[in-house]
Amino acid sequence: MNQAEVLAKLQGIFDTIFLEPVVVTPALTAKEVPEWDSLMQVSLVVTVEKSFGVHFRIGEVEKTRNVGEFADLILKRLEQP
Amino acid sequence: MNQHGIGMESKSVAVLKPLLLRNDPEFWPLLKSFTDAARDFGEMFLLSSLRKKAHARQVPVPGMVQQKIRLGIVGGSSVYPFHELLEHFCDVTGAPCEVWLGDYDNYISEILEENSGLYEFGPQAVLVIPPEKRCRYDGSLADSREAHETQARAVVTGLLQLAAKIHERSRAEVILSNFMLPARHDPGSYRSRTLGSDWSFRKWVNLELGLTAPSYVHICDLEFLAHRQGGVASRDERSWFESKQPCSPALLVEFAREAAHLVGSLRQPPKKVLVLDLDNTLWGGVVAEDGLAGIELGDTSPRGEAFKAFQNHIRSLKSRGVLLAVCSKNDHAKAKEVFVKHPEMVLRMEDIVSFKANWEPKSDNIRQMAAELNLGLDSFVFVDDNPAEIEIVRQFAPEVTTILLGPDASEYASQLQDCRLFEPRSLTAEDAERTSQYRSEVQRKALESSTTDMASYLDSLEMEAVISEFTAVDAPRLSQLINKSNQFNLTTRRRTEADIHTLMNDPDYVGFSVRLKDRFGDHGLISIVIGQKQNGTMKIDTWLMSCRVLKRQVEEEVLNELARLAAVRGCVRLEGLYLPTAKNEMVRDFYTRMGFTLLSESEQSREFERALEGYKPAPTKIRVVRRAFDTTS
Repeated sequence: MNQAEVLAKLQGIFDTIFLEPVVVTPALTAKEVPEWDSLMQVSLVVTVEKSFGVHFRIGEVEKTRNVGEFADLILKRLEQP
Repeated sequence: MNQHGIGMESKSVAVLKPLLLRNDPEFWPLLKSFTDAARDFGEMFLLSSLRKKAHARQVPVPGMVQQKIRLGIVGGSSVYPFHELLEHFCDVTGAPCEVWLGDYDNYISEILEENSGLYEFGPQAVLVIPPEKRCRYDGSLADSREAHETQARAVVTGLLQLAAKIHERSRAEVILSNFMLPARHDPGSYRSRTLGSDWSFRKWVNLELGLTAPSYVHICDLEFLAHRQGGVASRDERSWFESKQPCSPALLVEFAREAAHLVGSLRQPPKKVLVLDLDNTLWGGVVAEDGLAGIELGDTSPRGEAFKAFQNHIRSLKSRGVLLAVCSKNDHAKAKEVFVKHPEMVLRMEDIVSFKANWEPKSDNIRQMAAELNLGLDSFVFVDDNPAEIEIVRQFAPEVTTILLGPDASEYASQLQDCRLFEPRSLTAEDAERTSQYRSEVQRKALESSTTDMASYLDSLEMEAVISEFTAVDAPRLSQLINKSNQFNLTTRRRTEADIHTLMNDPDYVGFSVRLKDRFGDHGLISIVIGQKQNGTMKIDTWLMSCRVLKRQVEEEVLNELARLAAVRGCVRLEGLYLPTAKNEMVRDFYTRMGFTLLSESEQSREFERALEGYKPAPTKIRVVRRAFDTTS
């Protein structure tokens, strides 16, 4: 998988989770999406872990600054579970 | 792993989304069934967002719109996204809520302060989720049990005082979650040797909480839910550190489901009537085709045992006050005959308040029952193994709750035990009275059985035996036990069902079987004897017994019966035969133990005799309620 493929799959997840359409781009941040609150964050992480089959380590999701970095983190955890 | 989309969630979304876009009211019942089946946090979250979309689009909700219950949620962990799941469950199960959320770990001041947001909200119910850190002994494991107990009691009292404060201030019902037990090994097996370990301490607190809470407190049993799910799978340290979640996402789903169930049960009373199908529901097979002797029921086949266990659970519901009814597409006489004559039936005619075995649609039959019993259709639950019958009832008597039994009879009892429709809410004064009578009875029994000698032990078992001549109905069971019994089997002579029938018609043979039950349960058919009359001698062709009833004096009762039957037939002596096999060494000296004399011995056999003159029946602790060839019952 590369970043583009991860982003494409994330788009599918965003489409089902968010009520309003959100276009996934590497620069996208939570602040730009009104629905993306802390509650949504918990659900998003659980859903992403389940659908990608990855397990994030404590604190690392919080450190990602945008969706691109989040996608890179998914790639990293796919390689080093 | 599913590499496309979000895996298994997609099915429910694929089904629900088109309904949502058409504003089809069918959306709601389907949303409910997907919700009932879903276990996964991600899927539940998707279902919840579909529900919110449906409300936003104003998809019409079938049935009466329920008034919302005002529910406050406070606790020592984060209530996000728990409240989202809880609202979802409440909404789809017909008990929608308006929710007020407390701040993280602010619950004590929210409860104690008179002007807090909680009381301004005016809750009808308040869910309190106390944090684990408040349920821990803070001294040493080695402290005295009194010190441990004092602190455990203080935790219980503290929580009940908070509950009392809520109730006093707002009249709200209080739903109080208890504590998950630890799932890690530390401090090893010592955990159960001290009340100071988290393991024992929390168990004590949970137990005491449940036993002492007043009736306005409803325990949301997290200990049980985590036990059901598995302790390790119920915890997620990372989600505690990151977002103060009380448990793992998987348990959070079940926690919310349970809390919603408790909220819903504040309004919905439990069901009153359980309506049962017969063929392949209460027994295996079709009685009109297979006959009384051909249906599968009872302890001699695994499947028959499963049906019996199902009936036992149903009977336990009856003793809790649930009314039982029968609704079967069947010949009335044939269906009834099973309840009257089948020896392995647990349910009998007197257990059934309404018995409908006919060819009318089941929905009509159930409507008729409701009229006869003067109960609403919504207090009925209908159980069937046939999807077509379930569908008819769903369509033509939609108020009735239906349970479609799965393909495997071994899961019938569990299915009913998980249906959550017959849960008692509180005990009435009458129930309590019955309970206290029962308790004194139990104490009496405990006293009796505390004597350690064998005789009083056997006495305390309250054994009852039913001795029966061979019957056509029993033939399959007789043949089965004859063919599988190896250890307590004097001759190991095998017989088919056809052999049993032949034997029954031969006046020179006498065969009988023994069923035994005691106060712990029914052992079923456990011993078989076949005698052959030859001049004045009764030759014991077969004597076998199930090993699980060894040392219960069954052998003595069997000999009593054998002697009685032999004497009735004009015999003056019994002749016993032991044929050794690789497995029946245990009965090599059985006949001498029973007062027989060894007549002859070879490698292939040992022969014994016992004269019947002056035979005195051996006294036993077994009450024989019926004897073979007894025509009075």
